[in-house]
Amino acid sequence: MDDIYLIAVLSNIGMISFIALSAYLLLVVGEISFGQQAFFAVSAYGSGIATAMWGWPIWLGLLWGALVAGAAALVVAIPTVRLRGLYFSVATLAFAEMVRLIFEIFTYQVEIEGELVGPDGSDGFRDIRAIYDSNVSDFEYLLIIYGLLSVVLIGFLILERSRLGAIFRMIGEDPLLTEMQGLNVNAYKILAVVMAGVVAGIGGALYAHLATYVEPKIFNVMLGVHALAYGLIGGLGTAVGPLIGVAIDIGLLESIRAISGYRMIVFGGLVAVLLIVRPRGLLDEAAVHWLRGRWRGLVRAEN
Amino acid sequence: MVDFIQNCLDGIMLGSSYALLAIGFTLIFGVMRRLNLSYGPSIMVGAFIGTLVYLEFKANAVAIAAATVVGAVIVGIYVERLCFRAIRRGAAVASMVSSFVIWMQLEEIVTVVFPDRTYPFPPLVTADPIELGPLFFKVENIVMFAVAAAMTVLLHWLLQHTRFGLALRAVSENPRAALFMGINVGAVMSLAFVIASAFGGVAAYLIVSADGQITPLFGLWATFKGLIAMMLGGMGSIPGAILGGLLLGVVEAQSIWYLGTEYRDLSAYFLLFLFLVFRPGGLMGQLAVERELAATRRV
Repeated sequence: MDDIYLIAVLSNIGMISFIALSAYLLLVVGEISFGQQAFFAVSAYGSGIATAMWGWPIWLGLLWGALVAGAAALVVAIPTVRLRGLYFSVATLAFAEMVRLIFEIFTYQVEIEGELVGPDGSDGFRDIRAIYDSNVSDFEYLLIIYGLLSVVLIGFLILERSRLGAIFRMIGEDPLLTEMQGLNVNAYKILAVVMAGVVAGIGGALYAHLATYVEPKIFNVMLGVHALAYGLIGGLGTAVGPLIGVAIDIGLLESIRAISGYRMIVFGGLVAVLLIVRPRGLLDEAAVHWLRGRWRGLVRAEN
Repeated sequence: MVDFIQNCLDGIMLGSSYALLAIGFTLIFGVMRRLNLSYGPSIMVGAFIGTLVYLEFKANAVAIAAATVVGAVIVGIYVERLCFRAIRRGAAVASMVSSFVIWMQLEEIVTVVFPDRTYPFPPLVTADPIELGPLFFKVENIVMFAVAAAMTVLLHWLLQHTRFGLALRAVSENPRAALFMGINVGAVMSLAFVIASAFGGVAAYLIVSADGQITPLFGLWATFKGLIAMMLGGMGSIPGAILGGLLLGVVEAQSIWYLGTEYRDLSAYFLLFLFLVFRPGGLMGQLAVERELAATRRV
């Protein structure tokens, strides 16, 4: 019983981590997105349609979901890339709400084995059963989630040490100076938005298959703003930061049942106070720099 | 044709409540250059305090309105201290996220204190709609419209004809230069926040009393409608906020009539998206945006 509960909580942490990483990537390039839940939603629906209605195997469904989310991100990125600051944030919000409201009226159903399957407007999309049909247990699925999460996380950590990562951080610091280095800021930003869309998409596809049921109101703006908050709590210095944020919110607070009814009162206050002391989160750039220095010092001392 | 005109009128009436919300939003944004997501929830708390006064003491309309405004101001000060004053300038994202978590906190406090979710709120006026030929007007909406107009005039006077207004505009233009001129920047910002919260309280009272009930969801609704109206009108422009609110109302009313209720919010967000992409300055703020762009190009 406890195991089932633990697996459910851990799966949840894993899936939400994707959207937190996605919001974090945009924070690194200096943009605040209220709309990463849109890509999560597009992929949840897209992959669900692929596996439940077109009969695709699950891995292909996940891939398809991530691709569709990336394509949706490209569609948003091109018109909005010129926008700065709050304008960009509100544009992503408007887009995400449009996506959610379109799913409220989007109906596309086919008959499979005498039953209607497919998204049915605000009634949602039932019976995305691919993982149960192919006998994947909850624990195996948990491993799939964390396997994919590790791949994405390693990708992020490599990115941070690469030239591309440096360019992303530079744009976040000062887009004008980056432009002066002869770099095409808009092109890099579009790339960042698409990458963030794909990462959120992986999470959405995983979510749809575990929950077997998605409805538009899951993907409201609360999901997106939480994703944003996780990065800021955990820290903007490294991709591990958002994961810490998710773990603190879902893991820690879920385990302290005593405050279950007052969870947001406690959590909200804690975060507000934390942000006064550390406006860029627990693991901010300075902290990461310091930790790296210590680490190098240790390695050198051993040699 | 009569339908279309009636829709426009309905939209303007609906839009006047959006305009009321957008004024407070604009005032805070204009001075702080930071987004206060807690704006809606803090006036929602004010309205719940009004409900409490109504249910406990069977108070009259003036007392309820006063309780709503005072509640909104107190919560507004709490938000300002925690999310804006304490976080240093330049950390705009931190302020915004902080105001978001405080939103969640306020919403949960309200659901704990008021467990029934939906509470009655006494109407301000109980008059029949006015008929003018084939057209209808609702009295409470006319009141809202009048109050929105009065608030604009009041704000205009406050901003353009008082020493405080001058200080406020100076801070909004350049806080550091204002500080060198001997302006107490912190005090000016706090006062702007208090005024915005008071206006928000009035807005909340009028909107909630027109609805006849209040739920914790009012906070989310108020934040987003206010935000959209502000963006449509142009950030930081008070006349823009009014026009943006009215435009939003008209577009919503027309899409309810011609497309159906499920398209109401969709068309509002679609309009917002189009505005942001093609005219990010909104109705009244395009000049400021272009000036900024030109400055960037000069660099």
